[in-house]
Parts: sequence; C-alpha cells; structure tokens
Amino acid sequence: MRKWLTTLLVLILVFALAACSDNKSSSGSDQSTKDSKGKTTLRFATWDSGEALKIQEEIAKKFEEKNPNVKVQVEAYGDGFDQKLAASFGAKNPPDVMYMWNFPAYFQSLEPLDNFVKSDPEMDMDDFYQGLFNYSSMYGKVYGMPAGFTTRVVYYNKDLFDAAGVPYPKDGWTWDDFKAAAKKLSDPAKKQYGFGVRPEPDTYDLQGFVWSNGSSFISEDGKKINGYMNSPETIESIKIFGDMVKDKSAVLVGGKNQQSGDDIFKAGKLAMWESGIWPLEGFKEAKVNFGTVEMPAFKGKPVKGVIASSAVSVAKDSKNKKLAWEFVKFYSSAEAIKMRTADLPVRISVVKEMKTEQDPLISPFYKMLERSNDTPAFLLNKNWDEINRNLSAAINAVMLGQDADKLMNKAVKDSEKYVGQ
Amino acid sequence: MKPVYAAAAPVETIKKTKKRWDIIVPLLFIAPWIIGFLAFTLGPLLYSLFISFFDWPIVGEAKFIGLDNYKTMFTEDPLFWESLGVTVKFAALFVPLNIITSLFLAILLNQKVKGYSFFRTFFYLPSVISGVALAMIWAWVYNGEYGILNYFLSLIGVKGPDWLNNPNWALIAMVIASLWGQGTMMLIFLAGLKAIPGELYEAASIDGANKIQQFFKITIPMLTPTILFNLITTIISAFQQLTLALVLTGGGPLKSTYFYAMYVYENAFKYFKMGYSSANAWFMFVIVLVLTLIVFKSSSAWVYYEGEVKNK
Amino acid sequence: MKTKRRIEKSTIYILLIFFSLLFLAPFFWMLSTSVKSPEELYLFPPKWIPSTFEWSNFKEAWMSQPFNQFFMNTVIVTGMSTIGQLLSSSLVAYGFARFKFKGRDFLFIVLLSSMMIPWEVTMIPQYMEFNYLGWINTLKPLFVPSWFGAPFYIFLMRQFIMSIPKELDEAARMDGANPFQIYYKIYLPLMKPSLILVAVFNILTCWNDYLGPLVFLNDQSKYTLTLGLAQFKGMFGVDMEGIMAVTFLISIPPLILFFFAQRYIVEDTSRSGVKG
Repeated sequence: MRKWLTTLLVLILVFALAACSDNKSSSGSDQSTKDSKGKTTLRFATWDSGEALKIQEEIAKKFEEKNPNVKVQVEAYGDGFDQKLAASFGAKNPPDVMYMWNFPAYFQSLEPLDNFVKSDPEMDMDDFYQGLFNYSSMYGKVYGMPAGFTTRVVYYNKDLFDAAGVPYPKDGWTWDDFKAAAKKLSDPAKKQYGFGVRPEPDTYDLQGFVWSNGSSFISEDGKKINGYMNSPETIESIKIFGDMVKDKSAVLVGGKNQQSGDDIFKAGKLAMWESGIWPLEGFKEAKVNFGTVEMPAFKGKPVKGVIASSAVSVAKDSKNKKLAWEFVKFYSSAEAIKMRTADLPVRISVVKEMKTEQDPLISPFYKMLERSNDTPAFLLNKNWDEINRNLSAAINAVMLGQDADKLMNKAVKDSEKYVGQ
Repeated sequence: MKPVYAAAAPVETIKKTKKRWDIIVPLLFIAPWIIGFLAFTLGPLLYSLFISFFDWPIVGEAKFIGLDNYKTMFTEDPLFWESLGVTVKFAALFVPLNIITSLFLAILLNQKVKGYSFFRTFFYLPSVISGVALAMIWAWVYNGEYGILNYFLSLIGVKGPDWLNNPNWALIAMVIASLWGQGTMMLIFLAGLKAIPGELYEAASIDGANKIQQFFKITIPMLTPTILFNLITTIISAFQQLTLALVLTGGGPLKSTYFYAMYVYENAFKYFKMGYSSANAWFMFVIVLVLTLIVFKSSSAWVYYEGEVKNK
Repeated sequence: MKTKRRIEKSTIYILLIFFSLLFLAPFFWMLSTSVKSPEELYLFPPKWIPSTFEWSNFKEAWMSQPFNQFFMNTVIVTGMSTIGQLLSSSLVAYGFARFKFKGRDFLFIVLLSSMMIPWEVTMIPQYMEFNYLGWINTLKPLFVPSWFGAPFYIFLMRQFIMSIPKELDEAARMDGANPFQIYYKIYLPLMKPSLILVAVFNILTCWNDYLGPLVFLNDQSKYTLTLGLAQFKGMFGVDMEGIMAVTFLISIPPLILFFFAQRYIVEDTSRSGVKG
C-alpha cells in the first residue's frame, strides 16, 4: 500500500514534468525545419572565432538575402567543436552544415556530395585547386567542398635579422642555413631565440619536414610504418628541433593555451617562427616588422609542404539536405570566397582576380601549395589515431631532448598491431 | 483501493497510518532529489553502463562486444595504467594538502582583525575567475623563460625549472594551481569554524588550555563533520581533475599530467570511442565509490555530530 | 604577555597581507593586460603598470559580441537555478539529516555516488534525453535539474543540520508542529549561513559553467557569458586582451555579491540562540 502510494506520487510528478516539456518540444526539436514565420532554419556550425567568425556571419547574411525564406543559424563552437559535434551526432541532432577537416573520423555521418555536384550544372569544380579535394574525400567520394586552406611557411622578424647582421632568408634555403641563422640570432641572456619549438606539435604539421627529407610516417599504401616512421630520414628531420633547443638556438614555447610561439614572436623574442596563415594578421596588428619565406630544404632534396584545409560538409541526418547543399555551394562560390580574408582563397579564378599570390607576404604560401602533393598519414590508415598516439608521445620526448632513435623505434613497435588491421 | 482495507479495525488503521507516515514524511522531504535522480541522472548513468559493452564510435553504429572494452583496458592499454598512476599521484598530493591549506587559510580568516571582509574577498578571488582566463594566468605564471614565477625566483637567485615543459615539475605545478583555486573548501571550513560555540573556548581557557591544546581538543573535533565533507568531495574532485590539464598542458609533457579523467575525455571526444570511454569511467566510478565508502563507514569512529550525540 | 599578543597579531596581519597579494596578483595582471596596448602585451619582464591605459579595450571587447544578451541569459540561468537549488537541497538535506527510515543510508550512498561519475560519459545520454524533451537550444537543461537538488549541496547542508542540537525540534513537536513546520519555521532560519553559502557556490558555478552551455545551446541569442568568452578563443589563436577584459568585467558581479554575502555565511551561529 505505502509502496503504491509513493510510486504513484513519483509517477505523477514525472508525468507532470514530461507533460510540461512535451508541449514545448514541438518548437524545440523541429528547430531545423520551420519557425513561426514560416522561415526554414539552417544550422551552420563553425570552429572559428573573432574576425573569421564575423566574416562567416556576413556570408550567412548574404545567403539569407538571396533566400528570403531561410534563416541561417551560425553556431560557433570554438575549440569545443569536436565535443559539441560528437554530442549532437550521437543524439542524431547535428547541424545541417558544418566546417570539417577530420574526414576519417566523421565521414560516416556526412552526406556524400557527388550527386549534388553532378546534377548541378553551375558547379565549376575545375576552378578549385584540385589538391584540396584529396583532403575532403574518403574512398572516392567527396564529403566536403573546400572553403579555405593554408600551407606552412617560416615567419622571420626583420628587425632581429638586421640587428644581428644576418641576411634575410630566401626561398631555396636549406636547414643548414636555418640552423646557422638561428644560432646567430639567439641571445639567451636577452631571452631572445632564433626559433621556437612546440614541445607537443601536431604530428600532422611535421609531415612537411619528413616528406622534404624524402621519407614519411607511413608507406603510401598505408600498410607499413616500420622503415618509414623510424627511418633515419624521419628521425633526422625531427631531431633538428630537439637539438636546437639543447644548444640554445631555439626555445620551447608553450602549448595551445600557454604563451605560444605566436605571442613570443609578437614580443620580438623569436627571430623565426613556423606556422600557417593564422597569425599573419595578428603580427601585422602588433606592428612586427616581419617577412615570410618558404620552408628550408634538406640538401639536394625538394621541399615538400603540408596543407591544412577546411571544408564545409552536410550532415547525413540533416532534414534539409537540398537547402544545405545550396548553402555549401554558396559558401564555396567566388562571391563568398572573396569575402573570406582569414585564410587563403581556394578558387584559382579568385586568386588570379585578386592577385593574392603577388603579395610578398602571401606568395610563399602559394609556392608551398605547389609543393604539397603528398597524402597525409591520417588519410592512409584508418587506425592512424591509435598509431599517432604512440608517435606523438615519442615526438614529445624527442623535442624535450631524449634519444630519438630509441623512441621512434619503440613507437613503431607499439603501433605495429594497429597497422595491419 | 480494495474494500478489505476500508474494513480494517480502527485501532489497526491508526497504527498503520502512523507507521506509514513514518516512511512517507521523510520520503516527501527527499522526493525532489529522488525524482531528479530518476529523471536526469539514473537514465544517463545506466545508459553509459550499457554502452560500455559496445564499440560505439559516436558517429556510426554501435556494436555489442561484451566485456572486450574492459579486457582491453586492463590487459592491452598501457595508457590506462599510466593515467591511473598520474591521478593517484595527484590525489595523494592534492587531497591532504588541500585539506590542510584550506583549513589554514580559514583559520587565518577567522581571526578577529580589521578589514576582514576585504581579506575574505581577496582570498576568495581566485575562485571567481572563470576557467579560460585562469588557464592563461597560470600559463603566464609558469612559463620557463618568460614566466612571472621564475622571474621572482631569479630575484632571489634561484633558477626555476621550465614548469610545464618539465615532466618532473608539471604535476607539482598542477597541484599548486589546483590548491590556489580552492576557495570553496576554505569557505566551508570558515563556516564550520564560525559554528563552533565560543563558550567552549572560554571554558577551555579558564581551564588553562593553550591555543594549541584548544585547537586539537575543540576545533578539530567540532570540525569533523566539515572535514568529512571536504575529505569526500576533495577525493571525488581529485579523481575527476580534468579542466586544468585540458587547457594548460594537454596531458604533457611526456604524459606527466595525463590524468585519468583526461584519458576518459580523450577516448570519448578525440578518439570517439564512447563505449570504451564509458568502461573507463565506470572503473573510476567503482574506485572512487569504494574509497568514499571506506571514508564514510570510518566516519562513525571519528566524526562528532553534536545533534546525534546529545540524543544518545 | 602584551608583547606576545602584539607579535601574534602582527604575524596574523603579515600572513593575511601576504596571501592577499598572492591571490590578488593574477587579478591585477588580468586588469593590466586588459588595458595595455597591443605592443606592451608581450614584453618581458612584464610591465605591471602599462604606460598607457586603453580603457576603450573594455568597451571594444564587450561590444565585439552581444554580451548584454549573454549577460541577461546568464542572469536568468543563475537566478532560476539558485532559487530551485536552495529550496530543494535544503528540503532533501533535512530529510536525510533528521529522519531515520529504512534505506536512508543506502539512498545517501546513492546520492554521494551520483557525484562520482564523470560528466563526460553521461553527457551524451543526457543530451539525448534533453533532445527528446525538446530542451536543446533552450536554457532549461541549465537550470531545471537544479530544482531537484544537487548532491554536493545536499551533503553540505546535511552536515550542517546534523551539527544542530535536536532538542529544538523536540520542543516544537511537543507544541504540535508537524515535520514540515519544524523544517520551515525552525531549521530554515537557522540554516541561513549554509543557505547563503550554497547560494554563493551555486551562483558561481552557474556563472562560470562552460561545458553545459557549450553542449546544450546552439543559437548565439541563447549563449551565456562563458560561451561568449570562449569566442575569443578559436581553434587557431587567442585574443588575449579580449579574454582578460571580459573576464575582468564578468568577475565583478559575483565578487560584489560575495563581498556582501560573506558576513552572513560566517555569522556566529553561537549567538543565534541555538543554545537556548
């Protein structure tokens, strides 16, 4: 009896709770279709912030102007991007359109775009830098339209070079030139260093160096790492940085939220810094007198680069795929790309028209683009995440000055079990 | 309702009603929590237990794999043991230090001095600053070359380590940073201290007890309910320590700050192995539960509740 | 004796001032970073007092996003959550502290253990549940659960109630008061310090919560302050001035609140008549 009474009481309260929420759910979970004014809401998720985000909001507004019955809801997840996407994919309530780079992890939940492209006569796929599609395709299907990209270059502080009497680096320079310059530009007493080393770099970014030395982390067919990840060339290209820290021609900079190399470069304490296009505007704002140059080469070997590309994709669970495609199309149109100044244009016609590649600060990025035709490791093996865990740990230790040969061999040994699968 | 009940003898009914109310009244008091627990906690909790028997990459379909996640965790994944070790080390340092320092600060604030409102507010300040900025502040403090801590150390002629890039120091840096933000515990202790009746001290000093004797004979025993609370919640928070590592070190250098909670987090949101991550979390849950039970069961031996004792 | 007193007193002051400086320094640095010009931001050794005070940085940072809207949203969440939290947690705490019933200890262990599961793994199921209820992209997931009490606060208040002598409610019971009246008329007033303590904690938790809003809100018009703050931090690069300026501004309301609340938290209960 008393059991019944309490159970009843609990049930009533639970139902009351459920009821008071049920009448609202019509407006809540259907938010991706229509609101009270009959407008369709399209959800667009991005990881950008600040200026870059403002630009995206403007592009979204432009799209709304052209499609008066659509409201684009820009959802800025910042660096909580993956967590937020995971939660919404897990609950089958993802945004309709989203920024994307990690296609191996997400492609199963994304809509292949090939059919949209084929049935859309306006779509001029040839205008894009073709290499970019390598990064947004999985198993022969295109899952994202390129939206922006960057390659990586060396930034250098002209004032520090002048003060030390070192000539500015020029395209075609070598790692020996780089090391010699760094040595001359370092003055530990003044806390000034030739270069900044990330203790825990993204292994993705290091691939440019490894490729430049004629090696790679994994074989081209994605089936072997022994003899690649631990090859003498790979080890040599990674060891450079740990060695430079040891002889004090470079300093360890902080991780993501610590005082990063960007900050120290801005403060004029780093003569050289290696990065993508992201910090360029910030350096200009901070009035640093700087230049950019191609990556150095290993003697007698061609320089190779790695691309960081971003694309826009459509969720498989989107209720408005057609509209989502329209947005994706607009987002990668010449009009929208011209508005995007935070990274580099992906359309050849836009680059030509705006003479982007003639800007001396920008031209090295396009030269590096021509050198970026290798396929990054994460697209070659589906267990790359697991392998990369071991590789990252080893590289972290190398940057902190530990024995590179031993560590890289161990990383290979620990990872072998994932490679064959 | 069945007529049988209605026909029951009056005396019996009263007795029954009395007994019934004895259980219903307390249940009414705790009903909000029970409902909330059933509605918002139990479901997700059981779901995570359920999913721990699956291989679920979040994006994509879940596949039942029985106990494989648990097997992998215990036998094949060195990171599991490594991160567990980091967390245990952290907890061993943090839990006692946190109790001691927050009690010390609370006692300091409990002194009758001028301007105590300001001192209390200053002491609580670190707890008010939100996470993102806090991480940046610590990054600025700990930076080996340009950081303020090493700058001060250099003034007294000590060359400080590169705190966050040095595997020997990074965990210690984490402990210090975590202690600094523990205004919550300090405040709870302060409230506990204030609740100790002043006449106890008066009586003791008439009996000739000095400050130190008073501290151990009055303050500590009277604070035991508060200590129990802080002990249990600190243990829980030590095992869940994540934010600072996530934003400050990312688990490095050389995994020296790779907390168990970070391992759980990365498995879920970096490697998208939700099933495995749930298995990890349930293992931690069991550990913390056992620890808490031990502390809780032991509490009858050392915690002194005025309300209870008086009634014996 | 007198000199001993004096030494004691000054030691206390020295310690208080030392720790105050320790706790104030980063806050001061935050302020100075907020008003510095970009060129001075990364000097070493750091410049504590900027040569120019660009107070406009505050305005710029605040205006760079709809922070007024975020502020309102945060106030709503914080207010709704705290009211519910105080009512239900004190009720539940009283239930656990003052009644003996079958299964009480078991339920209490359940309560404690629900603090122990890390949120990362219950987050997705919870998201699914709120999605089912149609609460995603509303403020509800951020405050409705607190109407049912939170284990941390229930536990805290239970400890507090248990240290209050029981004679009080026995006297009231003799006078014919029912358990709810005893809770309401006798305990609630006595619990004022711990209620304010819980209010302070809960307000701060809501105010600074980042993960909850991140996961449950989509639309910028629903964002809370911390989400706005996080917008200064993208995947690539951080707007340090912006973060520091806004953090400074949004720390002020809870700080003022704390300044006025702290005297009630630490009120001497010894003189509030418990000893009767």
